[in-house]
Parts: sequence; C-alpha cells; structure tokens
Amino acid sequence: MVEEKENVANAGQEPVSKKGAKKQAKAAKKAEQKAENAAAVAVDAAGDNAADHAADRYGLYEMIQSKETRSERQFVSVSELSNHVNDKGLLWVRGRVHTSRAKGKQCFLILRQQSSTVQCILAVGDVISKQMVKFAGNIPKESIIDIQAKAVAVPNRIESCTEQLLELFIEQIFVISQAKAQLPLQIEDASRPENADDADGLNIRVNQDTRLDNRVLDLRTPANQAIFRLEAGVCRLFRDILTDQGFTEIHTPKIISAASEGGANVFTVSYFKDSAYLAQSPQLYKQMAIAADFDKVYTVGAVFRAEDSNTHRHLTEFVGLDLEMAFKYHYHEVLHTIGNTFTAIFKGLRDKYSREIEAVGQQYKVEPFKFLEPPLILQFAEGVAMLREAGIETGDEEDLSTPNEKLLGRLVKAKYDTDFYILDKFPLSIRPFYTMPDPSNPIYSNSYDMFMRGEEILSGAQRIHDPEYLIERAKHHNIDTTKIAAYIESFRYGCPPHAGGGIGMERVVMLYLGLDNIRKTSMFPRDPKRLTP
Amino acid sequence: MYELKTLLPQFDIKLPTCMYELRNVSLSAGATPGPAHEDTNAVVERQEKVLKQLEELKAQLGQIRKSLGVRVCGKTFQHTTAYQNGGLKEEPLHDVVVNGHPNFIPYALLALKNAWRDLYTIDVKTFTHSTMADIGPAAHDFEAKLAKVAVNVALPKINVTLIWKNCEHTEMISSPTMYVPIYGEVNIIRYLGRVGPNEYRYESSPLCNEIDAVLDICYQLLRCSTHKSQVAMVRLLDKRLQQQQYFGGDQMSVADIGVYSSLIRMPAITEKDLTPALLAWRKRAKLITQI
Repeated sequence: MVEEKENVANAGQEPVSKKGAKKQAKAAKKAEQKAENAAAVAVDAAGDNAADHAADRYGLYEMIQSKETRSERQFVSVSELSNHVNDKGLLWVRGRVHTSRAKGKQCFLILRQQSSTVQCILAVGDVISKQMVKFAGNIPKESIIDIQAKAVAVPNRIESCTEQLLELFIEQIFVISQAKAQLPLQIEDASRPENADDADGLNIRVNQDTRLDNRVLDLRTPANQAIFRLEAGVCRLFRDILTDQGFTEIHTPKIISAASEGGANVFTVSYFKDSAYLAQSPQLYKQMAIAADFDKVYTVGAVFRAEDSNTHRHLTEFVGLDLEMAFKYHYHEVLHTIGNTFTAIFKGLRDKYSREIEAVGQQYKVEPFKFLEPPLILQFAEGVAMLREAGIETGDEEDLSTPNEKLLGRLVKAKYDTDFYILDKFPLSIRPFYTMPDPSNPIYSNSYDMFMRGEEILSGAQRIHDPEYLIERAKHHNIDTTKIAAYIESFRYGCPPHAGGGIGMERVVMLYLGLDNIRKTSMFPRDPKRLTP
Repeated sequence: MYELKTLLPQFDIKLPTCMYELRNVSLSAGATPGPAHEDTNAVVERQEKVLKQLEELKAQLGQIRKSLGVRVCGKTFQHTTAYQNGGLKEEPLHDVVVNGHPNFIPYALLALKNAWRDLYTIDVKTFTHSTMADIGPAAHDFEAKLAKVAVNVALPKINVTLIWKNCEHTEMISSPTMYVPIYGEVNIIRYLGRVGPNEYRYESSPLCNEIDAVLDICYQLLRCSTHKSQVAMVRLLDKRLQQQQYFGGDQMSVADIGVYSSLIRMPAITEKDLTPALLAWRKRAKLITQI
C-alpha cells in the first residue's frame, strides 16, 4: 500500500522531476569532473615542485672535456638498431633531435643520425617522471643528445622514419650540445622533394643562397649527405681504377710563376716581393712527369679559374681529376683508357652507391644515368652531320656552341640511348697550340671531348712532344715562344708520345646525378659572387 | 550624271505591287537566244581555241626551262623510283642502331654478314647498355663471331651499332629526328634487304610477295609462346618451301635469312619438328650463313 502511494505520488510529480533529476545528475557529474581535474592539477603542481624521482635520468650533460671514458656505454648506430630489436639490455644512441613534441604524459621524439631516423617515446611511469617528459619536449631541434633506450618492434610501419619497424623507449636522455632555438632554415624545408607537378603539396623551399649561407645545416639533409658521399665515391673509384692500371698519383704545385693556359683567366697572388699565379690546370706538370718517365700519372687537386661567369656550371675553384699517359703508337690507346675509366666509375657508382643515388632521387627527380660499354666514340664530323640532319647550320671547323652541344647530346641520347659519349677528332683550329694535328687530314687534330648528359666534362688531346714542331705550332698561333721556353725545354731531353685529359669532379657528380646546379655538388662552392663560408 | 539608254523597248508593263523588282544581272539578258546547235558549235570552237592556247603556253614554258637549264625529266624519274618502292626515298642511311635483348639475339645480322661476305659489308659494333648487368655467354659468343668476319673496305658498307639493352623488342633506330624506329628482327631484315646488294633486293623481283609472306610467318613464329603453335608455323613454312632449293626459288634471299635466324632463336624447335625438306634446306643455308 505504502509503496503504491509513493508510486502514485511520484507519478503525479513526473513531468517536472524527471528533467530535474537529469539536470541534477549532470551538474553532479560536472562538479565531480571539476574536482577531479583540480585534484589532478594540484597533483601536477605538487609533482613539478615535488622531488623528481627521475632527476638523474635526464639533463644537460656537462661539456665533454674528455674527463671520463664511459667505456661501459655501448653505442649503437641508428641504421643498425634493427639488429637489436627486443634485446634484453638497454642501448645507448647518440643523435640529433629531428623533431620533438610533448603531449600530456607522452613525448614523441625523432632521433636523426646522418640520413637515418628513428622514433623515440617517453611516457610517464615508474622510470620516467612528468618533468623528464617536459624536458624532452623542450629540447631545441638539431641538438645532439645521448639516449639510453630499449628497441621495441612496432606492429604498424612508421612512415615518417627510415627505421620503420621499431621504436625506442627512452629511459635516460642527456643533451650533449644544444642548438639555438631559432634555426635559419628548417631541415624539413631543405629536404622537401622538388615536385613541380604536385601543386597540392607544401611548396615551402629554401633558396640556393640561404642554403649556401647556412651550409652546415643544409648539408644535414639526406640528399646532401648522399651527394657528398657519392662525390667521395667518384674520387675513390677514379684513384682505385687508375692505380689498378699502373698509374701513379702525383701532386703538382698550385702556386706557379706563369699562366699555364693562356693568360686571361688567372688569379694573381702576391708572392713576397713578386707576384705569382694560381694554377689553372696541372697540365704542364703532368707532362713533365711523363717526360720524367712516370709513364702513367694522375692527380687530384684544386684548380683555379678567374672566369667571371655566373652560370650553373662554372666555379672559380674546383677539384680537377687529371690524368696523362704515355702511349706506344696511337693516341686511341689513351682515349680508350680514359673512356673505360669512366665506364668503370659509372658501373662502380651504379653498383656500390645505389642507396645514395636513390636518396638524391627522392629529393630531385631525375632519370638514372645511362651509358654504353664500351663507351660510344663518334667522330666530330659525324656529330656535325647529326646536327645538320636536325636542321642546324654549323661549319666544319666551327666549335660546338653550348646550345648545339646540348642538342647533340639529345640527338645522341635519342639514337643510342646513352648519356655518356666521346667526340673524337676536333678541328685543329679550335684547339690549343700544343695539340697534335691529324696526320691524314690537316683540318682535324688528335683531340677529343667527353660529354655527360650533353655537357662537356673532359677535354683532352695528344700533345706535341717534339720541341721543334711545338715551336712551329706556337709561332703559327702567334704565341711568344720565350714565355713558354721552360715548357718547350722539357721536351728536349727525349719524351715519349703522350695524351691525357682533365675532368672537373663537381661537374661529373652534378651530371651523373642530373642536378641542375654545380653549387649543389661543391661542399663550399666558390664563384665570382661567393667567398664564404 | 549620265543617262543610259534603255536596251529594252519600253513596254507598258503593269507590275503588281505585291512583288519586289529584281535587278537584271545577265549581260545577255536582252539578246535573243539563238538555235541550240549554234550555241554548242560556239562552245566547241572556243574549247579548241583554249586548248591551242594551252599548247602554246606549254611550248613557251618549255623554252624558258631550257634556257634556265632546268630538266623536266629528272623530276619524273624520281617520281617513278619513289613509286616503285612504295614511296620510300631512295637514300639508304648507312648508319643505324639496333637495340636487342641478349635473350633474343638478332642472328640475322651475322647470317647476312656471312651471306654478303663478298658483296656488301655490314660493320657491326657491339655495346652493352647500362640497363644490362650481364649479357650472358650466348651474346658474348655472338659478338665474337661477328668480330671474326673481316671488314672489306673495298665494298659498299653499312654501319650497324648493336646495343644489348633491356628492351622488349628488337628495334632499329636510323635517325631519331627523321624516322620512327623499326620494330622486329624480320622488319630489320626487310630494311637491310632494301639497302644491301642488288642480289638481295627483293622488291622488284617477281618473288616479292612470296618473300614477304615467308618473312611474315617468321614474325609470327617468333611471337608463338607454345610449342604447338610453333610447330604449326613450321608446317606453314614447309608448305611454302615444298621441293624448292630456297624459299621462293633456287636463289638465297632475305626470306631464307629470316627463317634461318628465327629457327636458331627457337631452341624449342628440334630437328624432330622439321620436315626432311626443311632439314635439307637448313643444311644448304648453313653453308652460306655459317652459324
């Protein structure tokens, strides 16, 4: 009865009390939440001030002055982390902070080591304190840190890192060298792929001058890392291949008393009371080494050109890879040696540096370099004929202009599908005086150029090794023989027939990778407008 | 300003007001039409006059040409040659590139080189493209055999650059700016048959159709994937050969080169699949192709 009454009473009040009850419940819940939040904040505040249970697990490391060896710390490089997944012990890794963001009780940090990146995680727990997460989230980008962490496999691939199958659970983190909070350029911007077609993508770029002004930061991008590793590969392959063939490496002076090739484009330097010049090429010294019975020589060194040309392919200082070789009866012995050296370099790069080539390709989309083995050799006259067939008017004894040179490169590519070819037998009139004329046709000479992607990279010839004939040719070119007396004199004590050539290293790398500017392949480029850094 | 005399006698015509008046455009509107046959006679006369004038003009032009030294016959001659070989300009390109995959070696080059030993020189230079890491022993062997045939400088010659490349079809590129590539070994044989020695130019011969038919069978044979279809093609070839010495007669032709090369490229076709006639032919052809 009583129950029933109550029910009735409730039923009478129903329309009002149902809403009210709901409202009350909501309010109660809100209040509860508020109290909870307040409590949490209070705990937080208490935590910030309270004793940090992970205080000795993070911080700024004192400047390393080689005080202690710390030999117990076994460091692992990021690229090798995959071998240590789910190891019981902890690993030490040194790297740069690529990005770092703290979110509540967690901090995600991407650690970069050269071109490799890995994701790291700090989460508040028994080992890690709230303060430690906050500290990790505030480390400036590009700072160098040491971390002790555990490598754990992840179920889903991490697309933003090169190590996609694992992440690191950090237990200790120390800043070794802190970077400035404001960077002149962002590594992400500098390494963003150049997609001209992709209109939707982010279009933030770093321009060439900003890059060069902050070259240290710029060089940290994966593409630049790969470019300069590949450039080292070109030098190493050049040295190895030629050494295997019995060549000797020589070093030639860079301060010289007289201009070696013409007189116009030399740098003058003060030399005590006198003035001297910076070497434009090691030509004379290579030839003198041949006259001194070294038979086959090469040299790798700086070459200076005081040309005020601000183009994509001129530098005032670059690295020259020069070689000179004595031959028995025909200069084609040398031509084939040089051509095969190039093929071997290209093959070496293709086989041993595929990772670097791919890394560069990710930022700068270019077609892979194609070549033929043995290298394609065309006569200059054949090249002229191909140009004429394409409707270009050019003379038999006319030098290739830059547009014609490029067009010929495209024609050769279309016909033979090769980015590298040799043009043999250039007209005598457009070559230097020391070039040996062709014995069968006085218009032509025993000289050759080599091209990559339609741009000249090597120019060489059989040199005149007979002093009397050299004087005759010099007079024909109206050259004052007294000024080159020393050069002529070096052939007076007997000299084998020889030929050679010189290559610009930066150009070879630029054209091999198909880049658009030589400044991309010179670590600290020098051009008419840039002397720093 | 001036008043014109009316040509028509002034009839008194009452024009209805509901009509426009059209201007008279005909000059002879006023002339009275004569009898029909007189009119045709006039036309005939006139035509004859025009024809005579044309003839005179032609003679005049001929004289002018003669005085300027332009020869009319040269042009007509060119026309006929172009017409004979299907519009192709008679100007062989003596420098061509052949791209081939080492798995599909163009044996026809070697066969032609051997067959034309005393007639024509095919100077083949071989290269390996960077897309091919290794070309394999068969291609090396082929290169060595090509190099063995001596180059006779006295004979007319064609330069062939053979590039081992990772490509789908054997293709020939003559001049990238002027001509499209030629695909398929059989078609390359056809091209070489055009520029090669007269003995092998088959277009003007009465066997032209027969040779083309045989070459077409080779083309299909090279595209057969099953052994059964290959054997079917061999049967077709046998039908064409019958009891003749060579395909299409008793003279070696480019058709024989095509069949010979195709059979080498088909290792699945063994001696068992060939008929006695084909085997005998193969022996005869081997003496000339020397593969």
